[in-house]
Amino acid sequence: MRCTIAIAACVVLAPTARAADLDVHGYLDCRLVAHAGERSYANGGLGKTRFGGDGSDATCVQAAIAASVVLTPALVARADLQYQATGRDEFALLDAWLRYRPVSTTPLRWSVKLGAFFPPVSLENDAIGWTSPWTLDSSAINAWVGEELRSIGAEGTLEWRGERSTVSGVFALVRSNDPAGELLAARGWSISDLVSGLGSRVREPDAYAVDNDEPVPLRFNPFLENDGRLGWYAGASWEARGVGAISLLRYDNEADPASRSRGASPVLSWHTDFWSLGAQSRIGDVVLLGQAMSGSTAIAPSPFFSTTTDFRAAYLLAGWDRGAWRPALRIDAFSTDQLPRSIDGRVREHGTALTLALNWRPREWLRVTGEALHVRSWRNQRELEGLPAQRDDTQLQLGVRVVF
Amino acid sequence: MHVGMPAIAAWMLVSTVATAAELDVVVVDARGAPAEDAVVSLHGGDAPPPRAAVTREIDQRNETFIPYVEVFRPGDRVVFRNSDRTRHHVYSFAPAKSFEFVIAPGGDTPAVVLDRVGEIAVGCNIHDRMITHLYVSDAPWVAKSDAQGHAVFRGLPNSRYEVRVWHPQLRPGKAEPEQAVDVAGDTATLRFSLPLLADPRPDPADNERARY
Repeated sequence: MRCTIAIAACVVLAPTARAADLDVHGYLDCRLVAHAGERSYANGGLGKTRFGGDGSDATCVQAAIAASVVLTPALVARADLQYQATGRDEFALLDAWLRYRPVSTTPLRWSVKLGAFFPPVSLENDAIGWTSPWTLDSSAINAWVGEELRSIGAEGTLEWRGERSTVSGVFALVRSNDPAGELLAARGWSISDLVSGLGSRVREPDAYAVDNDEPVPLRFNPFLENDGRLGWYAGASWEARGVGAISLLRYDNEADPASRSRGASPVLSWHTDFWSLGAQSRIGDVVLLGQAMSGSTAIAPSPFFSTTTDFRAAYLLAGWDRGAWRPALRIDAFSTDQLPRSIDGRVREHGTALTLALNWRPREWLRVTGEALHVRSWRNQRELEGLPAQRDDTQLQLGVRVVF
Repeated sequence: MHVGMPAIAAWMLVSTVATAAELDVVVVDARGAPAEDAVVSLHGGDAPPPRAAVTREIDQRNETFIPYVEVFRPGDRVVFRNSDRTRHHVYSFAPAKSFEFVIAPGGDTPAVVLDRVGEIAVGCNIHDRMITHLYVSDAPWVAKSDAQGHAVFRGLPNSRYEVRVWHPQLRPGKAEPEQAVDVAGDTATLRFSLPLLADPRPDPADNERARY
């Protein structure tokens, strides 16, 4: 899939790049990290942070390139390529899409997007490669979206642009995301900036693999089409000048919970649906972001067994948007709950996280970020590894991002 | 004495501000920092002799319209120039004027006649956060505040003027702030403190955020 999309993007872009407008930006991100105590989920643990297992190191953790080509005034192509080196070294295509948006000289404007793209869930991750200008680590909600959610299909948007506010609606038909939700059920939430690309194989917790008599490490590709069904999302947003913005999204991958991929190591389909509500406002130089998500993911791999995991998460972020210094504070809360309650050893978790980041941009090509992340979580799955269910972990990072 | 106070206070509000042939209107934001790009219009008095229509240029550089605000008289013309290395697609759906032009790098548009009074917000359909405002006014006297927040009117006939201020970052839907001033032969200053919203234009040096 990854190769196919990359080739398709090259075929589309290469002949036109010389004649059309090409815009390339990217970054290299190197960090000094004091790891959290618990082994990271990226290495098969149940830790909530990207870096875990104690110790510290200095490394270049990721890089990304975003290329946009204006093919015609109404048609733009965009692709984000990322390299990251946590848990697995890989280059991956995060998204690749074409957007057709004809100009409108009326308040109404429509557009269509085709390809692979992130659903319009996040208010915080509007920078290259699903990163946030506010913090290094994304919120629990958007860490999950970056890791396991990608829309491959078509999205249509209709906007009405008034003098005081803009109202827009979006609808998409998507496919190839049937395993989405498995990580929330098998591992739970994370607070991280580890983003999956098309074709990436994310890692299950070793405790989950052992409990299910699977080899360690156990990985799977979350971007698979198992049942031929189309998923969808629909949303609406309202943005008022001087007031803020609010957006609501309903997502359903419509996966058949009884289906699975073909092959020797089949990947199950998880029927995942959720509501997401986000809001943004600004008071003077302080930007406020908030988002809440509530949904469920279900499998029914046999006529005799089915299970559903309800998941909820929310965050509030306050950032000071002025000058070269940009501090931000975010509070996350999250939970999962496996159902039915009759399941022996059903997995549950709940937790909170506090992220404090101080960004400094002394030059337009340089961003330095110091970030402290503290996560308090309770997850009874830890008891499978003989660990206490309750954890308190702190991860400290000093990041230097060279942007071009 | 008590009966006369409101009248005296009202007189002072007007007459102590100025009796001048030159009026310096100072526009600041809520913090007291100079507010550039405010359009200050004076209503009242004898209008100056009409001038011939002019053509003003709006440039596009580093994916930013320059200037952010330009003042026009009905009948003036605007030309958009593209000094970037990428195409731009300028357009407006304002009631006062709607148009759209694709501009190649180094190119410019035909002159567009702005024949109706009103504010015309102009964007780029390719780079959605680019914005400029064309303010077409038939007020007798009109000027735009400079980087220090000053809009200076010279040679004003003695008269009473209603002074109004518009800025693209005023909360939409609110009436334009307004003050009265009597001009009678000297230099005076009038100050407006505006509760401006955040500048909607992206930082052109911010290469991290998406542009399309």
